[in-house]
This record gives sequence, C-alpha cells and structure tokens, in this order.
Amino acid sequence: MNFKHKYVFLLPGLIVLIGILIFPIIFTVRLSLSGWNSFNPGLDFIGLKNYIRLFTDDPRFWQSFFRLSFLAITTVFLQYIIGFALAHMVWKDIKFKRFFRVLFLIPMMTTPVIMTVIWRTFFHESLGPLNDFLSIFGVQPPWLSSPGLAKVSIIVVEVWQWTSFMFLLMLAGLLSLPKEPFLAAAVDGASPFKKFIYVTFPLMAPISIGAIIIRLIEASKIMDTVFVLTSGGPGTSTETSSFFIFIKGLREFQMGYAATASFTYLIIMIISLTIIVKVLTKVLMRE
Amino acid sequence: MSLMLNHISFKPTEEYHLNDINLRFDSGKMYTILGRTLSGKTTLLKTIAGLQTPDSGSINFEDTDFLSIPVWKRNVAMVYQQFINYPHLNVRDNVAFPLKQRKMDENLIEKEVQEAMEKVGLIGFESRKIQELSGGQQQRVALARSLAKKAKILLLDEPLVNLDYKLREGLREEFKKLFNVSDESNSILIYASTDPLEAMQLNGDIIVIDEGKILQTGTAKDVFENPATAKVAEITNDPAMNINKCLIQDNSLIMNDSVQIQIPDELKTVPNGKYLVGIRATDIYLDDQGFAFDVEISEISGSETFLHLRNNNLKCVATIEEVKTYNTNEVVKINFDKSKIYLFEESGDLRHSPYQQ
Repeated sequence: MNFKHKYVFLLPGLIVLIGILIFPIIFTVRLSLSGWNSFNPGLDFIGLKNYIRLFTDDPRFWQSFFRLSFLAITTVFLQYIIGFALAHMVWKDIKFKRFFRVLFLIPMMTTPVIMTVIWRTFFHESLGPLNDFLSIFGVQPPWLSSPGLAKVSIIVVEVWQWTSFMFLLMLAGLLSLPKEPFLAAAVDGASPFKKFIYVTFPLMAPISIGAIIIRLIEASKIMDTVFVLTSGGPGTSTETSSFFIFIKGLREFQMGYAATASFTYLIIMIISLTIIVKVLTKVLMRE
Repeated sequence: MSLMLNHISFKPTEEYHLNDINLRFDSGKMYTILGRTLSGKTTLLKTIAGLQTPDSGSINFEDTDFLSIPVWKRNVAMVYQQFINYPHLNVRDNVAFPLKQRKMDENLIEKEVQEAMEKVGLIGFESRKIQELSGGQQQRVALARSLAKKAKILLLDEPLVNLDYKLREGLREEFKKLFNVSDESNSILIYASTDPLEAMQLNGDIIVIDEGKILQTGTAKDVFENPATAKVAEITNDPAMNINKCLIQDNSLIMNDSVQIQIPDELKTVPNGKYLVGIRATDIYLDDQGFAFDVEISEISGSETFLHLRNNNLKCVATIEEVKTYNTNEVVKINFDKSKIYLFEESGDLRHSPYQQ
C-alpha cells in the first residue's frame, strides 16, 4: 500500500512543535544577533557583539549564574534528603499513614506566588511573626535585607514549596520496589539501617536520579520566589539568571542582549545537566 | 544444642495458620516439613526466621529466648520458594551480602564466597547480573548465599518447586550432598516440601503438618509405614492414599455393594463395624478376576499410568506400572493387595497397618 499523504497526519503535531518550540528558539538566536533595545527596536544585525559583551564585559550575568547554581543545588539536595526521609517514613505501615501522605503534599498544591507573599510577611523584619518570636531571645535577624540571610530565606521557601514534589516521586518509587529483596536482607542479617544503605538506597537509585534531574531543571528556572521575596536584593545578592534576563529584557528593554543571555544560559544548562546525569549515574548506580 | 518451639500459635484471621506447635530440632540433623499448600509450612519457617511474630508461644535456641531477638540478629539463613536475590548486585556480591553485614575481613569473604559458589556450581558466573541468569541459576545464587552465611539454622522453603524437572532432580541430589557436608557444621536444616517423594528421598526426620497442626513426626520409614491418621496417609503419598468408608462384617470388608473383599488373617481380630480403609495406589493391580471399575481419567506419569477409577460411589486411584492409554469410561478389572491394607477408625486414627506386628 502506498500512502503518499500519510505525512499529512503529522502536521498537527509538527505545527504545534514548530510554533511553541522551534520558532521561539530560532527567533531567540536571531534576536541575540541584533541590537534590539528601546531606542532602536528592530531586527538589525550586529554580529556577535552581544556575545562578546556577555563573555568579556558582564560579571553580573556570571555572578547570577553561579548564585543560581548554588541555590539550585542546595535546595534540590535538601529537598531530596527531606523528601526521601518523609517518603520512607510513610512508606511502612504507621498510624495515620494516609493523613501524613496528604499532609506532606499540601505545599505543592498551593500557588507559589501567593505562598511566597505569605513567607515574605512571615520573614518581615519588624512586623513578621518569626522575628516577633525570636525577639524573646533578643535577636531580630534581617531575614530579607542581609545578603547571606536573604539566600537562606529563598532556600527555606523553595525547600518548603517543592519538597512535596520530591516526596511524591520518592514515595511512588518506594511503593514500586519489589518486596523480596527486603525479606532476604532481613534474614541475611541486615539491620534496618543497613537495609536502607545496602538495599533501599541502591534500588531507589534510578528513581532518585530522575527526581533530582527534574527538580534541578525546575529549580534552575527559579524566578517567582526571588521576584516576590527579595526582587533580587539586597543589591544583586539574590539575583538569579532568569531574574537577570527578566531585568535586561523586560525592565531595560535590551531585547537583543537578553536573548543572548537566554541562549547562552540554555546551552550551559544543557551541557551541565548532561554532565550531572552522567556523574549521578556513576555515583549512585556504581556503573 | 537444640531449637525448641513451645505452643506456637498464629491466628491472623478467623483460621489458625499455626495451631499450638510443639517441636524440637536438634543440631546436626535434617528435618523435612511435609504438608500440602496452605498447610502452614511457610508460616512456620517464617516464624522460626523471625519474619513473623506468633500470637502466643515461645521459641528457645541455645537457651536464649529466640522471639526477643530481631530477625537480623538471629543466626538463620533462608531460601525461598521464589528466587529471591538482590537485583542491583551481581552474583558475587549477592553471595557476599550476608558476610558483608557481619563486617568480615575481605579476604575471608572472598574465600567463603568462592567455597559456597563452588558447592552450588556457580563458578564462572561471579560478575553476571542476576537478571541474566536462568531460574535454576538464580535459585543456586540464593542457595549459595544461605550456605555462605554458615548459619546455625538453615531454612529451605520448597526451594525446588519452581524449577523444571531435570534441574529439580539434579539440585535435589546436590542438596543431599550438601546436607551431609553441613552435618559437620552442626547446623539445623529444615526443609519444607509438598512432595512426599522428595521428603522420603531426603531421608531426614519428617514432620507432617496440615491446617497449622502437627499431625505426626518421625523418621521417613516410620511415617510411611505407620501413618498416625488417614490424613497423614493422604499427605505422605503421591498419589494420595485411597481412603474410603467401609464396613467390616463377618470377615469381609465391604466398600460398597459390589466391592467386597475377604479380609486377611491379621485383620480377623478387628470387631465388626464402620471403618476407613486405606490402600495405596501402587497396591492396586489389574486382575481379570477382579472388580469392574470405570476409568474416569487416565494420566501418564513417567513410566507409570495413573488411573482414576469409579465404581458407583466408590472412587480410587491406581498406579499401573506401564504406559498405556485408556479411554474414558472404559471398564477395567482391578484387585487390591490384601496384605497392604490399612485400616483407620472413623475418626481417622490408625487402627491397623500392614507393617505392624
């Protein structure tokens, strides 16, 4: 049979793909080669000038990138530890298992921006309940206006918001594990702790890698928390890559330069995530 | 040194899984727990291993209260009916797993692992992944792991049941050899099985269990020759011993209107009344002068043929020592070896065995 028109059936998918993925990327690349800004809006061609500026004359972009790396890795690491611990806790038969399972999922079901507003109120230096409580001990840390503590605040909010997601993935993973190796391990003389180290953890390695990568990708796009909580401040001490690009593109209207930063960021992310997957596979799965 | 089970009961639902179990296992000996599926064999082994806590009763081993020791501290090894291994480890690491838990010296572990692998014939497979092995090899890995541990108590829960015929025969031979070797190590071996033939072949002490109750314990010969009850006789024979209601009246044994046999001399002292008569399938033979039975099913098993026969309400299974096809509803004439007749009371207790003096 000869279906010459069979490729026509691919069109709906292809059009959507081109429309939402391929065209924006190509347009971004083209935009990054232009000097589009608020004085000179238009797709002129200025060659690699933007890239040269980014790589030689913009420490702020790189600072924001390393800051982002730090925040992403720290939050995901904490989320993994806490999420795994919580999942492990409600995996076995304990009292009120269902209640806890739902309870741990609540943060994920809330809207990040709204929760961040609540957290901002919570952290408020003179009016917030946290400092009100801490004043009993005579301290009132500047949660959002010191460079170091502002990072801590962002980490706390991010961990609170997204540990649920990690918990969900890890619990699903634990529930899908075969029961037999645990029977064998008990008889083979493994204490509950060793059982975790030698059986549960290695069996969970593939799921762990998947969960960590998903969260790393998500955490690299960290934007709303920073925007609402600190607006990148104080100074630029909590500015992340996406927030930097947002400021360049939508505040200062340097569209061409923002596109350059976006595309560079995309390439770096693809490369570094590939490396991270390789390293995690090697470390966790011992292959 | 011995393992004592005192009044162990386990009743998770309405039915007893274990009902007042009292057993004594001595070091350096081998025991076979024989029972049908769901009779409580696995529950009993799991209770000894510590994977299950009984509702009541106590277990003592080497004068310590075994029940107060958590499973990972008990010196037991167990091989399960399913092939249970660690899917994330290779063969060598699987076998070494219990030794690593004890923080043994690496060189010593290597030596023990090699020894155990050699015993089960797994040399050359050290770095294979578990998923790359056949069922029989996977079970060998599990067996090697339990042997490497050199536990004081080795529990084998129907280890051969999921293997194909040829492999089963081969491994059973190896088991016998292994057991002789482990005699020196003074460990207790408990082997659960549903197969009476296997139990007889392994030639250890037999414990017959049904519905969570111990029905009889004794040597293989003893249990075979003098089953305590009609139920034991059924469990310890394959095909199950034919147990039928009968009436003894004036020196004849009446099974139904047409099947009546003259009773042998040694049964003449038995008073008239209702009994259960037991005849092994192998003690029924073809005889042109015998009783006419209809063939219900005929199945060929190896070099024998099992005939499921029926005469009105009387049913029995006969083993014919040849391979022959019979049609359904074909009439065959059979007779019973009178010198091999068992007699049980209506309650099931043994009244007469041909091996009794």
